[in-house]
Amino acid sequence: MYLENIKVKQFRNYTELDVALSKGINVFIGENAQGKTNLLEAVYVLGMAKSHRTSHDKELIQWGRNYAKIEGKVNKKSGTIPLELTISKKGKKAKANHIERKKLSQYVGLCNVVMFTPDDLQLVKGSPSLRRRFIDMEIGQIQPVYLHRLSQYQKVLEQRNALLKNADGSDRSVQSMLDILTAQMIELAADLVHRRLRFIRLLRDWAADIHQSITDGRERLSMDYRSSVGDVSEDMELSRIKEVYEKAFADVRKKEMERGLTLIGPHRDDLDLAVNDKNVQTYGSQGQQRTTALSLKLAEIELIADEVGEYPLLLLDDVLSELDDVRQTHLLSTFKERVQTIVTTTSVAGIDHEMIREARSYRVKNGEIVETVD
Amino acid sequence: MHYPEPIAKLIDSFMKLPGIGPKTATRLAFYVVEMKDDDVLEFGRALVNAKRQLTYCSECQNITDRDPCYICNDSSRDRSTICVVQDPKDVVAMEKMKEYRGLYHVLHGALSPVDGIGPEDIKVTELIQRLKNEEIKEVILATDPTIEGEATAMYLSRLIKPSGIKTSRIAHGLPMGGDLEYADEVTLSKAIEGRREL
Repeated sequence: MYLENIKVKQFRNYTELDVALSKGINVFIGENAQGKTNLLEAVYVLGMAKSHRTSHDKELIQWGRNYAKIEGKVNKKSGTIPLELTISKKGKKAKANHIERKKLSQYVGLCNVVMFTPDDLQLVKGSPSLRRRFIDMEIGQIQPVYLHRLSQYQKVLEQRNALLKNADGSDRSVQSMLDILTAQMIELAADLVHRRLRFIRLLRDWAADIHQSITDGRERLSMDYRSSVGDVSEDMELSRIKEVYEKAFADVRKKEMERGLTLIGPHRDDLDLAVNDKNVQTYGSQGQQRTTALSLKLAEIELIADEVGEYPLLLLDDVLSELDDVRQTHLLSTFKERVQTIVTTTSVAGIDHEMIREARSYRVKNGEIVETVD
Repeated sequence: MHYPEPIAKLIDSFMKLPGIGPKTATRLAFYVVEMKDDDVLEFGRALVNAKRQLTYCSECQNITDRDPCYICNDSSRDRSTICVVQDPKDVVAMEKMKEYRGLYHVLHGALSPVDGIGPEDIKVTELIQRLKNEEIKEVILATDPTIEGEATAMYLSRLIKPSGIKTSRIAHGLPMGGDLEYADEVTLSKAIEGRREL
């Protein structure tokens, strides 16, 4: 799928704007603080009905105005659908094909987008919580039930920690309550880990292919889910994983009572990443870590394509300058024919000329956008 | 702005009610000042009586103005079944259905270590006591389908099981009269989990 145009009104620093987009690569060039990211954000919001950088929709409305409006025609295999999203202080209104969609869940998904920003570069080097969040968000996009289970898990975890923290271990009803919370936890933990393992199996293959292509075959990316209970593997049935957790929770019970804290579970798991069999989190160069983050994120494109049957849009916010020439070229050419890509950058100096010539480029200055012809 | 003490106290009292903030409380307080004397007296009496004349039914723990409550007193009801709910409002919901003819037991809450609520803080002992005294054959656990409600149901079922009394949990799933295609994924997956053989 691709977006034929993006039209915004009173959105962030844009008063009014209508830009035609190319099916392939679109490059928006401009100094800092001119509105490049705002433009990508508009595309993201049009697709996802929420922003990638704020949860306060009001911030999206131009200062002093009552509403912001984003429109765009998304071209899909099944035909062209005009999308329209209005954000006012009262809330959001989404229209597809000029008909209002009362539930946002009936709107989101009509135009899939994948965004990559400099913050995502932390994915590899940052704390395990960032990688868990990545995994959770990705699975959530494909399986909405997952997010519900996850939030239930977090509630049980909170209850269990509260019980362990204040409990008098000799009290029989406390032991009984702990049994119940542990049973609830095992049920949810096994389900979450089962889904995560299946997801990692899909992600691994796609990410490895992409990584190889970006690095021109020089680097081999591999990954493994690291569970806090150790012995779970991808070929295990759900019931088997449950047994592993039952045993693990029984083993750790005494220690948990002493420490007053839940010590195992998916909230303590991580994703191990290796390039050429060396742990890239610890031993990788800055460049390798960046490429790995990029490969993970781009694998999402293939996963969505697999699920939806069409490629999503790729939004790259100021990340080209973070990669060397070879990696840039490979990144852009990997998806050139298949994925509409919208790129922002401060300068084209470091970017492969061939690529830029084929791309449609625009100059962004102070909330205005002009297509550059050269 | 400095309010005369009686008004300030009234505002303070209104703010103790759920969902009422300083603005609404102030508006209500000034409205009360303008009301007819009789209406104010009536209002005050209603407040006091609601608190004074209502008590908990010694059997089912529901709120009532007489003890035992009218449900526990109703001889036409099935005394072998008890439906356990979290809240007096749940009894009202169940009664609206007009299908259930058994008795109730109101827990007044659910187990939640985060909020410091353990078995001794809700009406669990009273329930167990009832099970000893009466000819109970089945206990229906109708706590909310939340993590806390679910844990409470599990806790009670483990407690009751040894006595040999049948315990059951209400089903979760699709609302009646709805289209399958409009159900959300979570409800649908619950419905699949709880499917039954025909």
